[in-house]
Amino acid sequence: MSEEVKTKIRIRPPAALGKVQEEISAPRRSIISWIAVGWLAFVAAAGGFFTMILRFFFPNVLFEPVQTFRAGFPDDYTIGEVDLRWKEKFGVWMVRNDDGIYALSTVCTHLGCTPNWQPSGQKFKCPCHGSGFRITGIHFEGPAPRPLERYKITLADNGEIIVDKTQKYQEEKGQWNDPEAFLKV
Amino acid sequence: MEGFKSLINYISNPTILFTAILVGFPFVFPPNDWFYNVNKKLKIDKLWTKKGLFVMVAVTIVFFVFGLGDSDFRSIVLKPDNVPISGLIILLIFFTWLSMSQAYENDKLMDEGKPVDEYYEAPNDKVLVWPDLVYVELISLVLFSAFMLIWSIGLPAPIEQPANPSESPNPAKAPWYFLGLQEMLVYYDPWYAGVVLPSLIIVGLMAIPYIDRDPNGSGFYSYKNRKLSASIYLFGWLVLWNVLIVIGTFLRGPNWGFFGPFEYWDSHRLEALTNVNLSELFYVKWLAMGLPSNILLREAPGLIIMFIILGVLPVLLAKTLLKKFYDELGYSRYAIFVSLMILGVLLPVKMYLRWFFNLKYVISMPEYFFNF
Amino acid sequence: MSEKKSILEKISEGQVWKSIFRGGGVPTTRRQRMMVVLNSVFLHLHPVRLPKHAVKLKFTWCMGGLSFFLFLILTISGILLMFYYRPTIEYAYTDIIDLTEQVPFGIMREIHRWGAHAMVIAVWLHMFRVFMTGSYKPPREFNWSVGVILLVLTLLLSFTGYLLPWDQLAIWAIAVGSNMAGATPFLGSEGPGASLLAIGDVNFITKASDARFGLIGGRFLGEATLLRFYVLHCIGLPFIIMIFMAVHFWRIRKDGGISTPV
Repeated sequence: MSEEVKTKIRIRPPAALGKVQEEISAPRRSIISWIAVGWLAFVAAAGGFFTMILRFFFPNVLFEPVQTFRAGFPDDYTIGEVDLRWKEKFGVWMVRNDDGIYALSTVCTHLGCTPNWQPSGQKFKCPCHGSGFRITGIHFEGPAPRPLERYKITLADNGEIIVDKTQKYQEEKGQWNDPEAFLKV
Repeated sequence: MEGFKSLINYISNPTILFTAILVGFPFVFPPNDWFYNVNKKLKIDKLWTKKGLFVMVAVTIVFFVFGLGDSDFRSIVLKPDNVPISGLIILLIFFTWLSMSQAYENDKLMDEGKPVDEYYEAPNDKVLVWPDLVYVELISLVLFSAFMLIWSIGLPAPIEQPANPSESPNPAKAPWYFLGLQEMLVYYDPWYAGVVLPSLIIVGLMAIPYIDRDPNGSGFYSYKNRKLSASIYLFGWLVLWNVLIVIGTFLRGPNWGFFGPFEYWDSHRLEALTNVNLSELFYVKWLAMGLPSNILLREAPGLIIMFIILGVLPVLLAKTLLKKFYDELGYSRYAIFVSLMILGVLLPVKMYLRWFFNLKYVISMPEYFFNF
Repeated sequence: MSEKKSILEKISEGQVWKSIFRGGGVPTTRRQRMMVVLNSVFLHLHPVRLPKHAVKLKFTWCMGGLSFFLFLILTISGILLMFYYRPTIEYAYTDIIDLTEQVPFGIMREIHRWGAHAMVIAVWLHMFRVFMTGSYKPPREFNWSVGVILLVLTLLLSFTGYLLPWDQLAIWAIAVGSNMAGATPFLGSEGPGASLLAIGDVNFITKASDARFGLIGGRFLGEATLLRFYVLHCIGLPFIIMIFMAVHFWRIRKDGGISTPV
């Protein structure tokens, strides 16, 4: 880089500043600690305000749909089939196999799209990024990092199935062996 | 004609299309002297002449016009939200040409020892904002407003069925400008492709002027004296961003499968694909034993590989191949530069590993939501 | 002195005109033309004199100016749309339909949507031009960084607007986008490291307290999400982007105007 270049990109101080008074008398020592306390208090207060603003975005009460529903009687479900009747309203697939019934979440574990059940391929296929899950909910293709979640499934006193979506069970944490993750019939 | 269409479908397969672009790129946008000389020798720089522009634009337009005769092609390209992307392709060709042609022109002028096209003798060569610039602005505004009006009258904005949280459309796509990232989501976990990678792109872009500190080539189009930085930027911008957007828009169909431009979007097309993690490849396939139950032991191969790539490789490069950069940039700038470069190179690497080895994750710890 | 004056000349020398445009008269001399720029709050974004290449489309592509112009178009058309649009699940979709069907000159939504696409492209191409002319180099490093932030804000503005029609296209794009927030390291309930922020059995980062929740205002996409995105799109992000735009334009001048060969 030539000398000429350097002068061109130099940024001049505004002329209005004129001669700046260079000599500023050093503050006395005893004041310094008070300044430090003042600044600390300022930073703490500012931090407090920002925390308040952040907390503002997380309300104490949520108005969301009911998460527990009655899903009919075990005999309503055919063995070996994926039942789609609660998909639209509650986001749950009911699957019955030889041993019993489980409630699968319809939320893809990749990015939350709703996979489609493909009877021909016997798999749940996600349209967003192509993840595939077997009928059990185990992932086997595409980018999904873990199996679908299962919801708590129990029997009411009158023999009806109750699905509780607030309680979920994840396979990779070994929770599918929990008695409430699978309804033995 | 059918043969031509199936040929196009065949080479649109990303394994072929992307490989061709990767191989061809350094010859068109040479990163170093060797490629630059080949570029000159093969007369690839003819692309940046007027004739070159004519050929590139004509081929693109003829392809689109020809394609519109095909119903599958038409249904994708004429989707309202996809129209801007067809426009983007033409714009990219034109503006890449516009910058490169001026850059090569200026390179030639500089080789001859003449001042570049943008050079001016201050202050005699200056023009007044009123009227010279204000008129240019006014005319651009009027013309562009007219263009916007015609566009808005001619093409209705898309509106689909009312929102239904239980029914994902197939395929479900992000807004078009994020389709490059959505493509990356196929190969990487959301925490990386959706959060860390975009942050890295932002940081990397901001870091450009602090890493490329050569003050030469400021204020005018040029290529020859800033081959490497221009080539890296163009690769990121044209290939990793825009080519992936075009692939995501036009070639990704139902179930996020690949479809050629003349292929019917069959949502029942089955693709048997079973992806495996590196740990499964290593222990089950190569060592023929079960997966260890200890997570760290299970993921040891992946962790070691990542440590070598991110921890050892930069040091090795600093001593060997990139010694010049290390000396020039200093420790912290070099560290940032080389990490960004390595993570950038890992993007296509992971794509190839997926295509050819069905590799899912190098490190897979779903227990901690940590997959890479 | 008995030369006849045109109406335009008469007006431009009257008191009213002169009180608005200092100097008055049609600017013909070099000095008058410089004063026009200096005395106008809008035009004095520009310097009074420029290097030759700064007015050549071949060099500038006009993309920076076009981005700003599109921002103005989008602001105006956006304000107009706000007169009809109600950000609730019940009305959002039908209000969008009505904007085309029931409102005279029903292309305001088209102008807004296509304008948004055009702005994204214009900002990209502006960045491309700035790179290819090496204009990010000293002393313009900082302004390049501000430009990158403006690019991100442009994309976020477009993204938040994408949800508002509340159709299938909208919610699934946002579903994917907001779930990524849930995968943020440490701050998302499905992100790596979140489980490390627990004390004993108490998880601090859950579905109801993570980054995704903060973004969409609930555990699922719903009424709160629509309202949050609406406020961000109409007030929050425009407010922020205007601050950065002011800095960006100011710094162009302070860094020496359009970049030139040295």
